[in-house]
Amino acid sequence: MKATALRYGSLLIILSILLLGVVAYRLRATADDELPRVQLNADNIGPRPIEDLTSKTVQRDYALAWQTMEQAVSENKSALLDGYLTGLAKEDFTKRVDSQIKSGLHAHYTDRGHKLDALFYSPSGDAMELRDHAQLDVQILDGGKVIYDEPVNAEFIVLMTPGADRWLVRQIQATNGEKP
Amino acid sequence: MRLLLTVVFTFFAALSVAASEIRVPAQVTAGTAITISTSGSGEASFYLIGPASANKTKVQAGSNIPVDSDQLEHAGRYVAILCASDGCTAANFFVNPAEANRLSFLVHPSRIPVGTPDGISAVAIVHDSFRNLALKPSPVTFSIMAKNEKPVSAARTSENGVAWVRLTSARKEGPTRLGAAIGHADEIRVVQQVAADACNLRIKASRDKRGFLIETDPVHDCAGNSVPDGTVVSFTESDAAGKTTVDVPIKRGVAKVEMPIDGRAKITVASGVVTGNELEVAGGQ
Amino acid sequence: MKRLIPIVLAGITLILIVLAWFQSGGVERREMRAANSPDQAVRLMLSQIQGRNFDAAYARLANRSDVDRNAFAREFQGSYGSLLTYASLENFDVAPLHSSDQDSTVRVHLHYSTAVGPLDDIRDLKVQKTGDTWKVFWPVNNATKLPPQVIPVNYLRWDVIGRGAGDEWGVQNVDTPQVRILSMNAIQRPDSVVLVGEVVNEDSVPAFVNIGATLLDAQGNEIAQESSFDKIAHTLLPKQVSPYRIDFPNMRMEKIKNVRMDAKALLVAASADPVIEVNQQKLETDPLGKKVLTGQLTNEGGQVVDIPHVIAAYYDSNGKVVWVSDGYVAQPLLPQVPVPFAVDLPPDVAKGVQSYHVVVNHYDRVSS
Repeated sequence: MKATALRYGSLLIILSILLLGVVAYRLRATADDELPRVQLNADNIGPRPIEDLTSKTVQRDYALAWQTMEQAVSENKSALLDGYLTGLAKEDFTKRVDSQIKSGLHAHYTDRGHKLDALFYSPSGDAMELRDHAQLDVQILDGGKVIYDEPVNAEFIVLMTPGADRWLVRQIQATNGEKP
Repeated sequence: MRLLLTVVFTFFAALSVAASEIRVPAQVTAGTAITISTSGSGEASFYLIGPASANKTKVQAGSNIPVDSDQLEHAGRYVAILCASDGCTAANFFVNPAEANRLSFLVHPSRIPVGTPDGISAVAIVHDSFRNLALKPSPVTFSIMAKNEKPVSAARTSENGVAWVRLTSARKEGPTRLGAAIGHADEIRVVQQVAADACNLRIKASRDKRGFLIETDPVHDCAGNSVPDGTVVSFTESDAAGKTTVDVPIKRGVAKVEMPIDGRAKITVASGVVTGNELEVAGGQ
Repeated sequence: MKRLIPIVLAGITLILIVLAWFQSGGVERREMRAANSPDQAVRLMLSQIQGRNFDAAYARLANRSDVDRNAFAREFQGSYGSLLTYASLENFDVAPLHSSDQDSTVRVHLHYSTAVGPLDDIRDLKVQKTGDTWKVFWPVNNATKLPPQVIPVNYLRWDVIGRGAGDEWGVQNVDTPQVRILSMNAIQRPDSVVLVGEVVNEDSVPAFVNIGATLLDAQGNEIAQESSFDKIAHTLLPKQVSPYRIDFPNMRMEKIKNVRMDAKALLVAASADPVIEVNQQKLETDPLGKKVLTGQLTNEGGQVVDIPHVIAAYYDSNGKVVWVSDGYVAQPLLPQVPVPFAVDLPPDVAKGVQSYHVVVNHYDRVSS
């Protein structure tokens, strides 16, 4: 009786662990599908004040840009960059993806959020510069093997420009955070 | 002797199993070649992941790995990884922009009514030769060259790679050239100053073969600038036979039209939302 | 027995042929060939025109000596790239107006199908009895003929030089033209909601304009979206005003809380020619009892207008746009040759019309 109870108890524990593992994996995958968190602080923006709608649109489109960038370097599909990137940002990420394909690499980003500070909004509304404090977990994989896995607190200077129905990331450049 | 041999053997064994290491410069300027030193032994894979590249090469652990300048043109965060038999080791470094040498120059609008205060915005985004944002404060020289006026210059220091200025449009119609310069870069844009809406729109009528020739005085805005040729002036004539309308573009400063008029007629004129005077004429049978 | 089967088969074949002849209107065609009545004579002529057999149709005319055969054919085939050159006579209706033993007047309603939709033409034709048959007395076309000549066309032209594909982002593009919607009026019609108004090109360069509208309900949800399509003069020169009309079929005003208007303007190469005079404009009632705005179009410039398109805005006593109607003209506009036009408007709208403004749009084979 005791032995049977023990056997069933062990089986239950193993099953629970397996189930939790699957749930954790699915949750992780779901988290990847969600938009990265983006917070915009426009207190110091100038010379043009930012409109409410523009503020919301910029946050949403910046999050979508990161989601597409992360997906592109993970799946090595540069076509994904067409939606929210343009100009140098699109060119550079396309080169990155092509380079990864050639080397058999891909990158996986877990996005833990972005804090944006708006630095400049041009008087005619056709360009916006932002500083992004981003928290990411970066993994680089060679085939299926993880060769790099580190959390990164990165700072980016971002140039965004308005497109037909959205704001696009035109240039994104990581900095070391030192005042120039 | 045996002890000595054991010690020596253990020492070399320890050396061979020591983890490979990789040493990178802390900061690099874009477009500069560097050498990355590694420790360890045996065959290894070297990876250099940057903003626009992800390269993999076979190297010998323990050797110095040269990285060409063209692999380091993009400013940003780079990760150098060395994977040998004992595992992978990595190091990060930053590539900083080089000296400011290029501009993206945005000017709006491309057409503007004359005398509009602060109506023109000029924004210069400063780059290095590799199109990285040059974030170090740099002096940008803006210049304005209006038609028949002396050129004027002003310097602005860029902040986070951006310099900007607002300008009032010229008093006279015509093209104005705006310039921005830094390093070897010198960009020019053209802004057309145009006359404002027509002012004091006046018409006169004279008899001709077909009936009447209706003609405007030279069409100007309130500041005396000629309204450009091609601007539409609408003539409307009402007489016993009905109503006649013609949209006529200004040609050489004047709009004119011939109209057959039967009996008494009233003629009015408009351009856009601006109306002019009314005429009453008496035509022949 | 051997001969019986072929005989029976031949007989059945004969019966079937006769039946087919009756079925296909053989009797009617025989009657028509005889043209024994004014109605038959006109129908016969029009069916030959429909089949593009202009020689046969021309032979049906009573006054062939006065009517040039080519001019007769051109009235249905079109010329100079006019709308009729892209049209075919789909069908026709014939109704007698009055008749006597020797002559009659018949009203024909011609229905064309064209590249821009259906086009109707109504004519009253005289028919005369000649011997035993009736023949159509065709009205002689006294329109001014344009003699061969060279006409200078020297109005202003605009061309657009944009940013090249290889140019860097910062290279300035020419700004799109500034246009402004001057007015918008929503009108409930029996089976639709119609938005009418005017738009002006405020800029100093030509603009290609299209007006769109989105209807929103009380919750702010979009319930319908339409554009002005061809009920607007698309190419507007600087300071030119055009009416526009947007139709929402099967819509009720009660469903609409808000309207979002969208004026899209693009840079376009354009010419200030042709200049078209619209004269003798009158609101009147046509022979069918419809309220129409009629007038004449005269091309004051040197360039032939292939397909003129008349768009009229109607205003009430407060100057508000209460209706916009449009119509294509089947004839081309040759320089200095007047061509009549008529556009209709609903009788209930016509009651409140105080004034009107006509704009002439045009489509040409040669790009402006």
